[in-house]
Amino acid sequence: MTNILEINGLSKRFGKVQAVTDLNLTIKSGQVYGILGPNGSGKTTTLGMILDVVAPTSGQYQWFEGESNISARKRIGAILETPCFYPYMTAVQNLRITAHIKQCSPDRIEPTLKQVGLLERKDHKFKTYSLGMKQRLSIAAALLADPPVLILDEPTNGLDPQGIAEIRQLIHEIAADGKTIIMASHLLDEVQKVCTHFCVLRQGVKLHEGAVEDILGETNEIEVSANDLSSLEKTLKNHPDVENIETEHGYLTLQIKNDLNASQLNSYCFDQGITLKRLVTRTQSLEQEFLKILKEK
Amino acid sequence: MIRAFKLEWLKIRNYRTFWVLLSMYILALIIISFGGMFFLEYLKSKGADFEGIDPTILPIYDFPDIWQNTTYLGSFLKVLLAFIVIISINNDQIYNTLRQNVVDGISKKEFLVSKLSFIAGLALISTFILFISGLINGSIYSHVHGAEYVFDEMEFLAAYWYDIFVFCTLAFLLSLLIKKSGFVIIAITLYTLMFEPIAGLILIESPWFKDTFWSNIPQFLPIHSLNDLINVPFPKYIFREIEDNIPLSAIAISTGWLIIYLTSIVFILNKRDLK
Repeated sequence: MTNILEINGLSKRFGKVQAVTDLNLTIKSGQVYGILGPNGSGKTTTLGMILDVVAPTSGQYQWFEGESNISARKRIGAILETPCFYPYMTAVQNLRITAHIKQCSPDRIEPTLKQVGLLERKDHKFKTYSLGMKQRLSIAAALLADPPVLILDEPTNGLDPQGIAEIRQLIHEIAADGKTIIMASHLLDEVQKVCTHFCVLRQGVKLHEGAVEDILGETNEIEVSANDLSSLEKTLKNHPDVENIETEHGYLTLQIKNDLNASQLNSYCFDQGITLKRLVTRTQSLEQEFLKILKEK
Repeated sequence: MIRAFKLEWLKIRNYRTFWVLLSMYILALIIISFGGMFFLEYLKSKGADFEGIDPTILPIYDFPDIWQNTTYLGSFLKVLLAFIVIISINNDQIYNTLRQNVVDGISKKEFLVSKLSFIAGLALISTFILFISGLINGSIYSHVHGAEYVFDEMEFLAAYWYDIFVFCTLAFLLSLLIKKSGFVIIAITLYTLMFEPIAGLILIESPWFKDTFWSNIPQFLPIHSLNDLINVPFPKYIFREIEDNIPLSAIAISTGWLIIYLTSIVFILNKRDLK
């Protein structure tokens, strides 16, 4: 697999604030790479540096194994934080500028607007758009030149739940086309649902890097509840493959081992005369891992 | 170059404010360039005369003097063109579209070239209007005709173009330095039409500075050096003899300023983080 982006020892200092410290990353073709971190952890600064709008204090980066930055940027669709367009122009007029800069055909504008669901509003001025529509337009601008690489900075920021679901669907579709996506987010859930690889930044320092599936591991946590919680707890304690039972908001969480699964647990409880009214297998979430990583370092 | 100009063209093409401001500027330029004879008629109706001479026979629209006269007057309006430049630069900063343009794949040099070609275009439009209005007015009022008169002293049109170009580049620099367009507009207007001329006058004419080292300073100031490109033409109708060349010193000093402006713009564009 070819390297899309290599970052070597990249650092940025704004006055007294060290925004990014000695960052090393390699992103390969086809990855959906999540840069994860709390607000102010240096995600946007990092993206700004690799897009040439923030000058690094030290360090280098290289696109497409050595292509010049300006021509590389024409092959990258990027959104940085908020959507930036001329408010007095319509979606089509704004995208014409993008098409001109990226040297792609203006014929791409309509299909791209259709892809993000803005076709009906294409001749309305940008200033009349809702936040969700603005966000979609910036995704349209990023997709316009059909770039092999997309950079998305908090792509679902400010969207309603339906919009969030649609954008995630869109990202999945784009990733399925074999494109490389670099995404910054503070939403762990988002990275978990969308990304194949991720790194964790805190105060500009990379704490962790790896594949999402490696860290998520196997499901071994289950939530259960019944009308009589205390007898349920007593029953479960007797099961040899159940441990770490804890009470949480009216249900119990427990961990299972030795290949015990949820259906076996259910029939075990039923045999003991308890009918479960809740049985949820919990996927180990990135959130827990994330908090663990933050705690460890 | 054409690519860079087209980038700016796409930005202003659908921008109503730009077209309104440009139309108002052109209207003002036409009034100034065509209004000379009406103004002299007005003076005459009020009983004014110049040493017993009827003002309307002053040959202000004679070739080739017409070029110096109209470019001198038109130059006062350059501050209106600078407003258009200030708004254009300011938009790209407040809408963060400069950053988006760079992210999308232009270099900062291309941004600079696109704005400079825009400024050059505005100056060209203005120069062209004065050229056409000069041809019209001259053909109506001039006492001499013939190509050797009509196309003599065309260098004033070139100086006029250069005057606007350098001044609008200053406006470009100021709008990068100060991101509030209203503030830049007020500052550049007051400085150009008031602060620097008054300071220059004090240094040259006041008894404290007159004939001292200080009275040499004003010719080096940014606005003064531009104004020196096209000298005040009208005293010629009284004193007969007047400078009707473009002083080399003014060209040299204003070019020095242009280099300073461009260097500063390049420095700021390269140095500044676009957040």
